[in-house]
Amino acid sequence: MVIDSLLAGLAFLANPWTILAAGFGLVVGIVVGALPGLTATMAVAVLSPFTFFMDAAIGIPFLLGVYKAAIYAGSIPAITINTPGTAAAAATALDGHWLARRGQARKALEMSLYASVFGDLFATFVLIFAATALATVALRFGAPEFAALFLFSLTMIAAVSGGSMVKGLISAAIGVFIACIGLDPMSGYNRFTFGSVDLMGGVSLVPLLIGMFALSEILIRSESLATGAADAAIGRERLSWAEFRAVLPTLVRSSGIGAFIGALPGLGAEISCWIAYGVAKRRSKRPQEYGRGSLEGIAAAESGNNAVCPAALVPLLVFGIPGDTVTAILLGAFMAQGLTPGPMLFESHGATVYGLFAILLATNVMLLGFGLLAVRWLPRITLLPDGLLFPAVTILCFAGAYSVNSSLFDVFVMVAGGGAGYLMRKTGVPVPPLVIGLLLAPGLENSLRQTMMLSDNSLSIFVERPIAAGILALIALVVLGAAARNVTIPNLFRVQWRFK
Amino acid sequence: MTFRLLAAGVVLASALGAVAASAEEFPSKPIRFVTPYPPGGATSLHAAIITTAAEPFFGQPMISIIRAGGGGVVGTTEVSKAEPDGHTVLFGDPTIISLRPQVEQLPFKADDFIPVARINYAPAVFVAGKNAPFSNLKEMTDYAKANPDKLVYSSDNVNGLTYVAFEMLKKETGTKMKGVEFGGGGPAITQLLGGNTMAYAGLPTVVGEHITSGAVKPICVADTQRWDGFKDVPTCTEAGAPIIWHFWLGALVPKGTPTDRVKRLSDGFGELVKDKGFLTLIGRINSRIDFQPHEEFAKTLEAERAALKALYVSLGKLPG
Repeated sequence: MVIDSLLAGLAFLANPWTILAAGFGLVVGIVVGALPGLTATMAVAVLSPFTFFMDAAIGIPFLLGVYKAAIYAGSIPAITINTPGTAAAAATALDGHWLARRGQARKALEMSLYASVFGDLFATFVLIFAATALATVALRFGAPEFAALFLFSLTMIAAVSGGSMVKGLISAAIGVFIACIGLDPMSGYNRFTFGSVDLMGGVSLVPLLIGMFALSEILIRSESLATGAADAAIGRERLSWAEFRAVLPTLVRSSGIGAFIGALPGLGAEISCWIAYGVAKRRSKRPQEYGRGSLEGIAAAESGNNAVCPAALVPLLVFGIPGDTVTAILLGAFMAQGLTPGPMLFESHGATVYGLFAILLATNVMLLGFGLLAVRWLPRITLLPDGLLFPAVTILCFAGAYSVNSSLFDVFVMVAGGGAGYLMRKTGVPVPPLVIGLLLAPGLENSLRQTMMLSDNSLSIFVERPIAAGILALIALVVLGAAARNVTIPNLFRVQWRFK
Repeated sequence: MTFRLLAAGVVLASALGAVAASAEEFPSKPIRFVTPYPPGGATSLHAAIITTAAEPFFGQPMISIIRAGGGGVVGTTEVSKAEPDGHTVLFGDPTIISLRPQVEQLPFKADDFIPVARINYAPAVFVAGKNAPFSNLKEMTDYAKANPDKLVYSSDNVNGLTYVAFEMLKKETGTKMKGVEFGGGGPAITQLLGGNTMAYAGLPTVVGEHITSGAVKPICVADTQRWDGFKDVPTCTEAGAPIIWHFWLGALVPKGTPTDRVKRLSDGFGELVKDKGFLTLIGRINSRIDFQPHEEFAKTLEAERAALKALYVSLGKLPG
């Protein structure tokens, strides 16, 4: 049944304009994703009005191409210049840039490309064959389940804290604090805004990320500018089949995680990459390599974030509910074509829906092609002399921070983030826990407070609801498991000296 | 002497010329059309359609600027402080323009803006979950009376569309119900569909599809007449609670914008809403146009503000 419809949908691909539009979308998406500050959301928002007057078979494939290519391409600058092009590529920078600094940029870029395409393909098949089932499960997630899930995600801080758990927690706490700035999400009271209108909207994530990753990197590397020629190795080494096969289980697991998170409204690729990364590290045979050029780490982060793209279409197509900002904009683009997503869509426009699925599959193959072309030349970026690269990246930082919201205030946020990131690196406080704290705190706060309103401030709601109770049990298992591994009796006495 | 007079005359003439030119040539540069909410909502979707179709009616491109943050406060504040030359237009709605400046401490006031044109309006539609123990307004009220604070509804934001709709309903029916703020219409309806809450009130664009598919039960429409899309659903007044609560989208400019420019913009929007391509797109997103030019819109706003103030005074949330 599904196969028949899908074959019928393939007819959509016979239209050369469809393929051309999707291909053009992919190219635009790669450029947008690779430029820090230009986000997938912004690109789709700016471009969607142009599709209103186009044929659905041209406009929609174009937007889908932009969306998935932008999420993929965020990893390109993350690897080559340690600047995540989109927030979803932050986890990729940890291992990818480490490899690039050691002349293995091409290998890292290839890993990222294959992982992205794999994750995307995996989730597209989930979308095609299990959309309704998955959407029904996702709908059962109420505030208590989300609160439990956000709590579980916070345990990922342990995976990215590096040597010192205490410093990791300090970093995460700072992130959570920054997330508190702005209007209270439920009552609308001002928190830490000091009367500033700019702060009422909170501290923007993307400018802060650009500062903490990119600007602080420049500051650190400027210190050793005189000896900067040391990494002038040629990044030609390619990913071997053996290396790809070794990460295959990680790819499957991370894609599954990404597909599930994508189907849940409100989390998105930014959070999913960290969960995939953290889970992969926990399950890894070589966790000590994470943060030091682990191919598995790149594979986990990139399949975890790209699997979100098709999966986010699950609640959109089945119930007409957008899971994140990009799908909310896509919802508008669909509606402007007269294709109102929702329960009626499969009945009224079944052929178009399956045509869409066929396009999603085709764009994956095309993304692989475009990516391979780009990957051949991109490692050369790492060969640029520092005197040329650093000023260019600094300009990108400023332009990117400004362009997110066309706000000068965001530029100050970026600079402050750069200074803070520099100090943190100097003192050995890891940056990723801060990012995770910043990403998770708003969702955790909202869902926890909503839960407390639902239950009249009774915590028993968490054990009365099976899914929430299940997630809490999982958290207990993870924490106890980690404790059992690390805190053996002799370790218990040594624990205070283990902090650096 | 002659030279001086001549020079003064030249300066004067060129100054006059400049004034004349600026009066004739408005708009002389692209118009910034500011949406104070994140992309993806109803407001940004309407803004995208308006700015796509606007250029022929204004003689200049209209650029959609999305300036989200603080629940609309950031973008609105920016427009209130913008140059009042008619080139910066806010895409406003009743909560950010009429209600919140009256009941919250915000960096702008309601009369910091001059109304230009109302583009459309839609009433709030009350709906109940598929498994809720009530199917019409009377059963809903009875349930709420028998079980105070047990009827949990999905709300959007404090002083938001849904929030106000239920405050009106609670006041009219003398019941107690419990609202949980989910931050927006999307998450709010999702929680209703998932069975985590029992009721919701939202725009026809949000609830329409779910009413048709049977995923939610329609209760009543908060308007003076039944809504075109679902003629079977009674108005709230017919069902026993006289509630009228509209959500409009409209253009406003900062205080101090010259009246002739307000009129020029209002006329431009008036022509735009008759455009065939524009209407096709608006129809596709289940919206409908209900245009009001600037003077009429100003009167509507005045009445709306007074009604909202009266509501909040009677709720004890504002001093009388």
